[in-house]
Amino acid sequence: MNNLELSIKEIHSRLVNKEITPLDLVEECYEKIEAGNHLNSFITLNKSEAMEYAKELSSQEVETDNLLWGIPIAIKDNISTKDIRTTCASKMLENYIPIYDATVIEKIKKQKMIIIGKTNMDEFAMGSTSRTSYFGSPKNPVDPTKITGGSSGGSAACVAGGLVPLSLGSDTGGSIRQPASYTGIVGMKPTYGRVSRYGLIAFGSSLDQIGPMTRNVYENALLLNTLVGKDHRDLTSAEKEIEDFTRLIGQEVKGMKIAIPKYFVSDIVSPVIIEKLNHVVELLKANDNTVDYIDMKYLDQAVTLYQIIAMGEASSNLARFDGVKFGYRSESSSTVEEMYENTRGEGFGKEVKRRIMVGSYLLSGDNAKTYYDKALMIRNAMKKEFDKVFKEYDFILGPTTTTVAYRLDENLDDPTKSFMDDVLVIPVNMAGLPGMSIPMGKDQENMPIGLHIIGNRFEEAKMYQLAYDLENKLK
Amino acid sequence: MNDYKTTVGIEVHCELKTNAKMFSNSLNNYGGVANVNINEIDFALPGTLPTINQYGVELGIKAALVLNCTINKKVVFDRKNYFYPDLPKGYQITQARNPIGVNGYVEIEVDGKKKKIGIHDIHLEEDTCKSTHADTKSYLDFNRNGVPLLEIVSEADMNSPEEAMAYLEKLKELLLYANISDCKMEEGSMRCDVNVSVSKTDKLGTRTETKNIGSISSVGRAITSEAARQIQELEQENEIHEETRRFDEKQERTILMRVKETGNDYRYFPEPDLPPYYIDETYIDEVRKTIDVMPDKRRSIYLEKGISLVNANKLIQNKPLSDFLLGLEDIDLVIASNLLLGDISSYLNKTEKKITETSLTQAKLREVVMLLKENKITNKVFKDILVDLMETDLGISEIIEKKGIKTISDESALLDVITKVIEANPESVKDYHEGKDRAIKYLMGQIMKETKGQANPALVNQLLQQELAK
Amino acid sequence: MNKLTKEEVRHVAHLARIKVTDEEIEKYQIDLGKLLEDVDKINDIEVETDELLVTPVDQEAILRNDQETRSVNFDEIKKNVPAVTGNFVEVPVMIGE
Repeated sequence: MNNLELSIKEIHSRLVNKEITPLDLVEECYEKIEAGNHLNSFITLNKSEAMEYAKELSSQEVETDNLLWGIPIAIKDNISTKDIRTTCASKMLENYIPIYDATVIEKIKKQKMIIIGKTNMDEFAMGSTSRTSYFGSPKNPVDPTKITGGSSGGSAACVAGGLVPLSLGSDTGGSIRQPASYTGIVGMKPTYGRVSRYGLIAFGSSLDQIGPMTRNVYENALLLNTLVGKDHRDLTSAEKEIEDFTRLIGQEVKGMKIAIPKYFVSDIVSPVIIEKLNHVVELLKANDNTVDYIDMKYLDQAVTLYQIIAMGEASSNLARFDGVKFGYRSESSSTVEEMYENTRGEGFGKEVKRRIMVGSYLLSGDNAKTYYDKALMIRNAMKKEFDKVFKEYDFILGPTTTTVAYRLDENLDDPTKSFMDDVLVIPVNMAGLPGMSIPMGKDQENMPIGLHIIGNRFEEAKMYQLAYDLENKLK
Repeated sequence: MNDYKTTVGIEVHCELKTNAKMFSNSLNNYGGVANVNINEIDFALPGTLPTINQYGVELGIKAALVLNCTINKKVVFDRKNYFYPDLPKGYQITQARNPIGVNGYVEIEVDGKKKKIGIHDIHLEEDTCKSTHADTKSYLDFNRNGVPLLEIVSEADMNSPEEAMAYLEKLKELLLYANISDCKMEEGSMRCDVNVSVSKTDKLGTRTETKNIGSISSVGRAITSEAARQIQELEQENEIHEETRRFDEKQERTILMRVKETGNDYRYFPEPDLPPYYIDETYIDEVRKTIDVMPDKRRSIYLEKGISLVNANKLIQNKPLSDFLLGLEDIDLVIASNLLLGDISSYLNKTEKKITETSLTQAKLREVVMLLKENKITNKVFKDILVDLMETDLGISEIIEKKGIKTISDESALLDVITKVIEANPESVKDYHEGKDRAIKYLMGQIMKETKGQANPALVNQLLQQELAK
Repeated sequence: MNKLTKEEVRHVAHLARIKVTDEEIEKYQIDLGKLLEDVDKINDIEVETDELLVTPVDQEAILRNDQETRSVNFDEIKKNVPAVTGNFVEVPVMIGE
């Protein structure tokens, strides 16, 4: 059984021709997950329900116009799934079973996809390595001694390892794109507002966005088709006409204007990565596209802005985890104050507590003005800077990360290192732009290197056009 | 001691009369069975997001209009962060930076003197859970959580308990008449926190805040006692501390709850889940049109139409009755108000009905008032037909006919009776012609007896004189 | 930027309602200090706007109709509530207001 190695199109045609059933696919998934157990990609498997549903689907007619019919998918464990435990990789939610589906889950179910399980991640998505998970670190399928990146490490690993063809991740400051880059897959963070956040357990509300993580560009666009749309439950979701994100795929990329900010190729980036990027530039130029290296203000400030805005928002978003209504409550508490401090002291991990503390500090007293307001002003200026570039250019390119995935035991317990892993991808979240990572080669040790494509707001289709073109040329 | 000046500012929270909650789509209704008007948003379940109730915003605009505020056309919200079990999200959504209305005022009158009380701002926010307490445990009911609140922050413009009470009465009247809030202090749909300070100079003294006072008269008493306490402290050369107190009704004094935490610990920041909403002029105009005639305007109409001040105020305090008179300004309002405040009110009290729940229509009231005014029916007849007026859809003439009441408007029927009585009492007729006053009284009495009191005395008198003169 | 004092760390921990031991306080002094050193750089940045970008959303909020309501049965919700008495959520006794 090697159906899962086929493309979605090929799987679909086998389903249509009744060569296989959804049950075959689901069984294969769980066999592979079991064999790939050491990758620790999953926190919770939805095995019996998935098998049940696959059987139900297997007795039904295949929807011939629905390529995703009966296809297995893995979901990051910070997306609310009714009746499936949703932990955010935290002790705080170890036993939390949601009573409602996130909007994206409703959409996935409507498409008749099969939810295989909930993937491992950094606790409350706070981290860049997935090592802050209460359930242990997921491992990079390319080299299990290396990190997967994060926070959507499990979602990246299960796709890269061939356990599941598709997964959902979430991206607050690179959490889809950076692990996609580290594990050699395709990850898209759509324009802020493109996908409803209803049911996504909030980290940084003005930055968070759910997106698809897949083996190739086409399937990424296909999955995004399912996820998008205005949702009256999320006032930040955007009203846009329905579009097919695969529609420009296959069209030639010619005469486009591409910008590379000099900061993205500065000495913070490893030479081997720059080398791969240069190769991409050559390919683009060879096809009559122009590539300019440009100056862009504020890019080097993105991490600082992120620390202030994301941690400030997080300190407030995570206040609801207090032991009153759901999740962990410390037993040894006779007063409300004790209940709060013990529950949160025991229920949250180190990194989460550190970030909540910093966020609380940055919003307290006069700090709200000196830090938070200032950060939002610079954020505004940064967005304007991007707008300016996109008046002239079709895309902004750069590497997704400054290095390849490092060892699981490296850089442990450095409170600032994890932010630097995302230094190249965070600006996109600040401005609410779409950004995606696609593989652009490997280093000497075979570790994947990602190309970061930034598009203008709501221009995902055009990004897929470029990404698909490069994907083919880089093969 | 009389050279101390008392300064009062008041923060009022009132619940808005919406159908749904402010930031969640569950029902705005609490006080019944616990935890029924709830959903995942009220419980702040992970991943849920707030939405904005359109009608809540509309009532905010309406309040801004009736309180003479400048409207902030960009509606945005902030988070006020603090931990308390009755606050499920760990933050309250409020409007700290851009309240929906600013720089307003209301006009009050105390001892015949008019005064404008400034309103610093009004802002939209949400209520918390209701909690009850036992020895070692507290219990939470989430039904109230998320109910829309309007906070009205006055300027420190009041200088006496009377002014404070007049301000609150006025506020209540306005909010009630604009259908913004029920303003029931005893049920908690209107709550007051009162800031009091005293000073001998123009520089304001240190203020204390007295929280959650249960009625408007208690607000007056709380201010009296708190001002007296502060003066006493100052006279003993003690300092006044910025602190939160509560009013003990029985002891008639304020009691320290806690010393105010210094500095800003609420960590306010702009709510990222709710993008701005922009109010345009057309919308404001539409809202303006939905505002009923305000009490001051009604009062002046009542007085103009000859209603006594006492009765005018009684009507204003009974909004359904006052509303019933809207559009009837052309009839005799003195008669109408007497009916409404008299027999009709007694009927409503007795039957525990609202006027809108009866069959009395404005058209019927108009007709009754006309008949009374033109002496075509007596008050006695009105009393006789009241129940039918209130409980059936019959017209007035139908009721009168049905009840076999000989109507007095029927002159010929009355003339028959008069003729009969004249014929039966020749002695009295003679006495009348000899100028004896008693005679006409006697004849009148006989006629009234014959008509079972339904005849209009004035009409009888007129017809009798006319017949006797023949 | 200076390292936070122990008192400041305690204050922040209290604001965040997170229990910290004495050893943890020392660790937080260092960690938070490091992070805040990063964050402090923001003061050196000149910016030509004083408008705050709270959210990158550029569409206006669409408001909800007051008449449409939806409730969830408490029996559903209480499955996740740590302590329930009857129809109420139970917590240790609340002191204060």
